[in-house]
Amino acid sequence: MIAARRLAVSPLQLAALASAAFILLPLGYVITLALSADLSVWHRLWTTRVPELLWNTVSLAGAVALLTLMLGVSTAWMVTRFEFPGRRLWEVGLVLPLAMPTYVLAYVYNYLLGFGGPVEHLWQMVAGPQARIFSPQSFWGVTFVMALDTFPFVYLLTRSALLSFNVSFEEVARTCGASPLRRMLFVTLPLLRPSIVAGVALVILYVVSDFGAVSLLRYQTLTYAVFQQMTGRSDNQAASILSILLVILALLFLLTERWFRRKSRFYQTSGRFRAPQRIQCKWVHTAALTTCLSTVIGLAFGIPVSLLVTWSLSPEALAILDARFFSFVWNSALLSTLAATAGVVVGLPLAYLASRQPTWLNTGCLQAAYAGYVLPGPVAALAVLVLFLKVLPFFYGTVIVLIVAYVLHYLPAGLQSLEPSIQQITPNLEEVARTLGLTVRETWRRVTLPLIRNGVIVAWVLIFLQTMKELPATLLLRPVGFDTLAIRVWLEASEEYYQLAAPSALLIVLVGLPALVLLLSRDWRAA
Amino acid sequence: MLFWLVMPTITSAADTLTIYSGRAERLIKPVLDAFTAKTGIHIELLSSGTTELVNRMKAEGDRSPADLFITNDAGSLELARTAGLFRPLNMREVERAIPPQFRAADNSWIGLSGRFWIVVYNTTLVKPDQIKSLVDLSDPTWKDKIAIPNAGSEYLQAGVSVIRASLGDDHTKKFLEGLRDNAGTQVYQKSSQIVDAVAKGQVALGIVNHYYVYRHLATQPAAPLAVVMPDQQEGGMGAIMNVAGIGILKHTPRVENAKLLVEFLVAQAGQKIFADLDKEYPLHPEVKADPALVERKSFRAALVPLTKLAELREPTLLLIEQVGMR
Repeated sequence: MIAARRLAVSPLQLAALASAAFILLPLGYVITLALSADLSVWHRLWTTRVPELLWNTVSLAGAVALLTLMLGVSTAWMVTRFEFPGRRLWEVGLVLPLAMPTYVLAYVYNYLLGFGGPVEHLWQMVAGPQARIFSPQSFWGVTFVMALDTFPFVYLLTRSALLSFNVSFEEVARTCGASPLRRMLFVTLPLLRPSIVAGVALVILYVVSDFGAVSLLRYQTLTYAVFQQMTGRSDNQAASILSILLVILALLFLLTERWFRRKSRFYQTSGRFRAPQRIQCKWVHTAALTTCLSTVIGLAFGIPVSLLVTWSLSPEALAILDARFFSFVWNSALLSTLAATAGVVVGLPLAYLASRQPTWLNTGCLQAAYAGYVLPGPVAALAVLVLFLKVLPFFYGTVIVLIVAYVLHYLPAGLQSLEPSIQQITPNLEEVARTLGLTVRETWRRVTLPLIRNGVIVAWVLIFLQTMKELPATLLLRPVGFDTLAIRVWLEASEEYYQLAAPSALLIVLVGLPALVLLLSRDWRAA
Repeated sequence: MLFWLVMPTITSAADTLTIYSGRAERLIKPVLDAFTAKTGIHIELLSSGTTELVNRMKAEGDRSPADLFITNDAGSLELARTAGLFRPLNMREVERAIPPQFRAADNSWIGLSGRFWIVVYNTTLVKPDQIKSLVDLSDPTWKDKIAIPNAGSEYLQAGVSVIRASLGDDHTKKFLEGLRDNAGTQVYQKSSQIVDAVAKGQVALGIVNHYYVYRHLATQPAAPLAVVMPDQQEGGMGAIMNVAGIGILKHTPRVENAKLLVEFLVAQAGQKIFADLDKEYPLHPEVKADPALVERKSFRAALVPLTKLAELREPTLLLIEQVGMR
């Protein structure tokens, strides 16, 4: 009996093992490269660049995490707990920044807040001709841009947790006489913690691995330095050494996050479920909420998009809208679709096994999948390039190489949503299905998949959106004649051709919007 | 669908050339378009960083889809040559058009245009006689007033190599340390960004390739920008010169088309397009540079041969890293 059961799961197990091994290959390559470096290279890096880079990276991640935590949780709270005119609109609007690549936001704010830019002009009219505003090319500038762009991760996961939150927990607390503040601090927030932590985790990993925004804002992080080492020198050892530091940093962080989540796992045990009653707002509250929300969305989406539209309508920009341009659109959309689908197919077995049979092997496979996210984009790309040339030369120069790099890099983003969605269904449901005579396959199809469907959709959309915006791997691996919209933005924006970068940037945003609508579709409740 | 996935995206049609280019796309595409218009040979262009492309070609080896490599630094071209990526060329057109000091010994790469590493300054903030030599820029009086390219940029590496060859390591190190301190966080990835910062008065001066200044002035003639051709004083090392150039990859099956392109680029007409469009100094002795530029005959260039840039590069990188430049 036991043997039969083992046999039945083995294909899944095999798939998980194979993907984990494949994902680990690039990491292995980078570690080998770093370890084969001469000690003097390590010493040189350590005495010159590392302290600054480490500090810059950690402090940026910390500041952005804090800011997104505040922005994300408070906005999620506003749209789930209050009822006011326009609520549904804001609910959707808060996700929009996800369609906005960080480097686009960076290049827009570089213009707006930059030296001699429009905001400075306004400010100088108020405060005198010598007055300066804070530069976007500074710690706080980068923090501001990154937080505006990534808070929807926290918002989304918190919101969905709040929506699927069984209000009876709070009711019990109320009947016991707990005040609203106590209920929030000791009942609601702890229950939301896994989702919030997952959201902040996404943010931190995103910040640590970001390349586009920090390079446009000239803020030195480890990932940026890795890219500079790789593209400015003809050996990649220094780059791989810096990558190892990044990997260690990210590992430390992921372990902490795991520990947080281990300590708090909750199951919905009964079918009785009631969403919390929303508080009906008077006009004062409505005005306050509307001001808050419109400021956030305006800064993160409204202002940048209106600027992009203006730029796109300029004659210089309109001149580049030819057939070549539309091939970039097609390339981007197709690549993202393929990468997202591949990501979900690879991710599901990993998340499922680790959650249902948390043996060291399965958990290990799942953790291995996170390797791609901690490996900086440029280095992952280099590793993929070398591995393909050595192992599968036939596929070199094809789109497959790019897709492998994307899956490697963005699988964790998908897993962050697949995992909790599987964890939220009690294993009892599946066990019952099996006792009632369903086969493993039928159980999957009729019980598990429908229950986790929303998690799968979210995972797909997250990978889709991120691939759409991806830069460093695409820069290094794209086949000849296969530019994407992101590449076009990068090529033009880094030369400060604001108008010429705008149509591509705007289109990345527009193509991302349907995906976001899917994310917010009516029946979606769990992430 | 599957077919599309598995097939390389470029067709190996006979009338197509694939070019890896480390130059800003805006500076090279019009020239290539002119070639396509003339010959009907279609060009697939992959624009990226120079060193990044050399790395990529090395990794790709014989599988590289590239037929030609165009870039903005003789050092990188020479590196690609020593890595055995190029094919030597025997073409009378090249020998006639481009003087030998601007080509590889075996003609496996050919310079197309000359550029000088100059000091650009904001005329409202700096007087022209305040700077004579690049070395002056390490003086503490320029603290927080200088914009420089990042450590990965090939022309910084080439420039520092020439300074090392002219002044020695100790002087160069002091110079770099001063420059690092004076620049602070004003370290840029692109020359155009530096010129922009100087034009706006965000910094007083910057080190860039000369043509970025003239391109900026061509679109915004009122910008308060001017150029110092450095190190022209008595006994000075001379201005630092580099070339943009082209090499034909060893394994390309489309040698004839590649030769046609090289021929087009070195001929007077091609050189003229370069000169007018990019504001670089044409290498063809009979083609005139843009009249806005400093007359070429009026200043000296440093004497370090371009072919030495590659071997100078590794120790230069070491020095740059030791100093801890970004």
